[in-house]
Amino acid sequence: MIVQSRSSRIIRTVVGWTVVAIFAFPLYYWLTVAFKEGNEIFNWPPKVWSFSPTVKNFEEVFGISLGFDFGTKQEVLPGGGDFRMGPRLWDSIVIAVFSTALAVSIATLAGYALSRMNFRGRHHFVAWVLSTRMMPPVAVAIPVFFIYKDIALLDTYTGVILIHALMNLPLAVLLMKSFFDDIPKEIDESALVDGASRWLIFRRIVLPMVKGGMSATAVLCFIFSWTEFLFVLTLTQTGLKTVPVVSSTFVTSTGTAWGNMAALGAAAMIPAFIFIMLVQKHLVRGLTLGSVKQ
Amino acid sequence: MKLGVLSADRPLVWMLPLIAMLVAFTIIPLFYNIWLSFHEYAPFKRRLEFVGWENWRLLFSDVRMWEALWTTMFYFGVVLTVELVLGMAIALLLDAEEFGFGVLRTVLTMTLVVPPAIVGMMFLLIEDPEFGVLTFVLDSLGILDKSTPILATGSTALWGVMLADIWQWTPFMVLIFLAGLRSLPPEPYEAAMLDGASPVMTFRRITLPLMSKVIAVAVLIRGIDVFRMFDYVFVMTSGGPGTSTYTLSLYSWQQTFSFIKWGYGATLSLFTLVIILVIANLFIWLAKVRW
Amino acid sequence: MKDSDKKLYRAKIVDDYVRGKMSRRNFLRNAAALGLGAGVLGAGMMRPQPVFAQNSLEPSKEDLDWVREVSAPFRGTTLRLATESTPPSNAINSQLKQYFEEASGMTVEIEVLPLEQVLQKLTLDIASQLGTYDLYYIDQSWAAFTSRDVFDPREQLADKPDLAMPGWAVEDFLPALVDGIARYEDRLVGVPYDIPIFIMQYRKDIYDKMGFTAPVTLEEYYEQAKAITDEMGPEMYGATGQMKSGHYSLECDWTAWLWGHGGSIFDSNGKFAGNDDAGLEAMEYWTRLWKTMPPGVTGWTWDGQGQSVAQGVAASMMSWGEFFPYFDDPSATKVSGLMEAARCPQPKHALRTVEQTGFGEIPGVGHQGGSSLAVSRNSKNPDPAWIFMQWATSYDTQVLITALGGGTGPTREAVYDDPRIIANRRVGAGTTRHLDVVRDTIAMDMGSEPDLPEWAELANDTIPVRLGKYFAGEYGSAKEAMDDIAQATDAIVSG
Repeated sequence: MIVQSRSSRIIRTVVGWTVVAIFAFPLYYWLTVAFKEGNEIFNWPPKVWSFSPTVKNFEEVFGISLGFDFGTKQEVLPGGGDFRMGPRLWDSIVIAVFSTALAVSIATLAGYALSRMNFRGRHHFVAWVLSTRMMPPVAVAIPVFFIYKDIALLDTYTGVILIHALMNLPLAVLLMKSFFDDIPKEIDESALVDGASRWLIFRRIVLPMVKGGMSATAVLCFIFSWTEFLFVLTLTQTGLKTVPVVSSTFVTSTGTAWGNMAALGAAAMIPAFIFIMLVQKHLVRGLTLGSVKQ
Repeated sequence: MKLGVLSADRPLVWMLPLIAMLVAFTIIPLFYNIWLSFHEYAPFKRRLEFVGWENWRLLFSDVRMWEALWTTMFYFGVVLTVELVLGMAIALLLDAEEFGFGVLRTVLTMTLVVPPAIVGMMFLLIEDPEFGVLTFVLDSLGILDKSTPILATGSTALWGVMLADIWQWTPFMVLIFLAGLRSLPPEPYEAAMLDGASPVMTFRRITLPLMSKVIAVAVLIRGIDVFRMFDYVFVMTSGGPGTSTYTLSLYSWQQTFSFIKWGYGATLSLFTLVIILVIANLFIWLAKVRW
Repeated sequence: MKDSDKKLYRAKIVDDYVRGKMSRRNFLRNAAALGLGAGVLGAGMMRPQPVFAQNSLEPSKEDLDWVREVSAPFRGTTLRLATESTPPSNAINSQLKQYFEEASGMTVEIEVLPLEQVLQKLTLDIASQLGTYDLYYIDQSWAAFTSRDVFDPREQLADKPDLAMPGWAVEDFLPALVDGIARYEDRLVGVPYDIPIFIMQYRKDIYDKMGFTAPVTLEEYYEQAKAITDEMGPEMYGATGQMKSGHYSLECDWTAWLWGHGGSIFDSNGKFAGNDDAGLEAMEYWTRLWKTMPPGVTGWTWDGQGQSVAQGVAASMMSWGEFFPYFDDPSATKVSGLMEAARCPQPKHALRTVEQTGFGEIPGVGHQGGSSLAVSRNSKNPDPAWIFMQWATSYDTQVLITALGGGTGPTREAVYDDPRIIANRRVGAGTTRHLDVVRDTIAMDMGSEPDLPEWAELANDTIPVRLGKYFAGEYGSAKEAMDDIAQATDAIVSG
């Protein structure tokens, strides 16, 4: 890389921190809302730094007592009584984890074939896979609702997991194909000549080499499943709900319970963030979307 | 073992799960939507009735649709451009090991884990006309005072929505570009340094060409999602004021679920699909993306 | 101590007491120092509090015994209901349904959603005749299109005498609400379930300071609002509104001013009438009044409107009475104890009669946004659902809802006079001190939207989108805007 002067390095550091601070600010502010009482959320000028923090919102949202201020749990809450969002967070985790696993598995198999085996119309096939992501979600949601109704998948984990996996497949296939493309073909070819079967080569040789890529793909799938709204809204009823959908519970006929919503939003960032941290090193390295090599 | 097309040496068996999923959940819905677009739901008879080409005729004469299309295109153009340019700029900025930059890269990814529906609420609060932080900042700077509520003024509402999108997804572009930048070969840069090329020159002559495919794919993937954007307008403006933030997705959602015009809603969705297909394929062709 | 300070302090000690922050003795001493009467003390002790005052607010034993008896064949059934997040639904979901479940052996799953998502669930369920939901929560503006998909409670009473809850009769519900919310043509779409309705809510302290009393006429209301805004703006505005473009709330505000100026949405021929002389006079008034509101009002639904009052930015609002108990909550707002409720100002010109309007529209300044609860015809468990519906709308349950759910308006006449409700007439979260005004408004001022299958589209899109355009300055004049609405509305209605 280009050697830089000291002053330009300082400028770069300062600018970098400033830019990220600007991006982080809305999150910080949202976090303060989660720790505010109702009458501190709306102020002019807005209270950004000074307010008396409370964990009330979290206690209400999860129906627990964190023990900081005893006995103050309000009996009927503006949005929906005891929200007990704990299980909803669990729903989100189950759906995101399994749909991610499913999408990555399918995409890995397909990506390998698309990278290694030549067949007529391969380019068109990839374009078609990508084009399935172009369908507006509303147009998919209604037919799937009727299909699910007939095969009893409405309001089930399986149903949502399947549709979330589907939604992520186009991207996952593209990514996985590109990671396989990065591995020299000569490796499998020499093994083939040695008489190893395709499946063995895939499992023993190639798969270990794309682990990083699979992690990067998994992160994206996880994020998209974690944040998806319309499918969960349409395909679930009372059995399960994910965080994005259930957060609208706080929009009530007598106003929005902002503090509670922020508390749920803040709590919901934690599992997702843990997941990202786990695969952090692959993320920045792996997301090249089809390699730089031409 | 001889299994013909199902042998592990042939691609089919590898792609079977993928094909099964895509056929079940996209081909069937596609045909269903095509069928639906020639029908309309009759609320009182509680069934779908055949209406021929009526929905398609309506589509092309519907002023609201053309407005929504224009809004969508405008939103698409601005958001994609800003996210691309800003994303690249920040990626270049953070592609160094200065003090704390590893932490900064991690912090940036946090915008991605917040569901867009909640991001919409966040920015609704931040842009609140009476109590919002952004309103306060703009007011203090003398740019925009309280008499111009951001999300309720025709000329600013769409920008207010764009802000949420840009905030959430620029870091996505940064991540991709950072990954791209880090996998660049060092040799051209060493050569450029020996020649004494300026950073701008290096970027234009070396980085951009080497990154072109990464950029193209990132634009493609992000572009598809921007065009179908729904959550932010749904939460923040419901399309208002007037029709100034109606996007195609919101309009078809509303026709489908609020007015129970399933046929017309399906027609709108198909039309959206066709436009995305045309734009995407044009882009793939122009940018010479090969898979 | 100033009167307003006293109220605030009272609210605080009552709240501290019920939350267990203050001992009963300290509470009584403090209250005595304020000179509070026995009623207020009683209220404090009656305050719904599962931990401290559980015994005082428990569902009636007889009712639960009845539930236990008739539910015997249906034990193990699961009932589903999708509802907006309103005070009654929340109270039932969080506090009351456990008693029903325990007695009946059924499970009640309540899906709490924002209004537009409830509509989405409902339309999918009706269109597919799925029967996923056994009960429907039906906003009054959906009555027409859902009418054929629900049971008429009168038929259920007649057909299933053995399942009828003793003492449960349609006649016990406020007749105005049955007409305005549940009736479509000659059918009843369930029974009235909750009733948010427009009342005048104003800051007593500010009105006192300005030498004002609650406005009697619309013109007076404008004068007061303007004087307050001129005097105290931009820290304090005289009025506020729910005027977000393209949102149902904007249409609600419009109808109040329209009806209040002797106008109507439809004429007797079923043509849009908002562009006639009365309609334009209403627009002129509204445009003037709008200038006295906070500039952000065009971005607010009832949420922002309520916040503007709660956080002390607006001195009055003519809007949903449901907000009143929230304003009294000292932990959520800055105006606890400062608000007073009054009937809406009287209309400027005589209201039109129902005969002069179309589609069963009932003009009146007190716009109602009630909803009904009904058993779905698609339900696979109509009988158990009917048991739940009677219990959920029974006298005793409504009392508990009103007490627990935060002072929401009951739909049964007698509930307003229940001692448990009267006892809650003190300043503090969940107060019921505004309910007399609510009852008077229902009886005398109530306005109801028309019932026609296209109404959901008209009220949620056609009208509020164009009104939004008007306030964004995209029309040359109010007349132009109203003519445009007329043309669009008539096109939709004539199909």
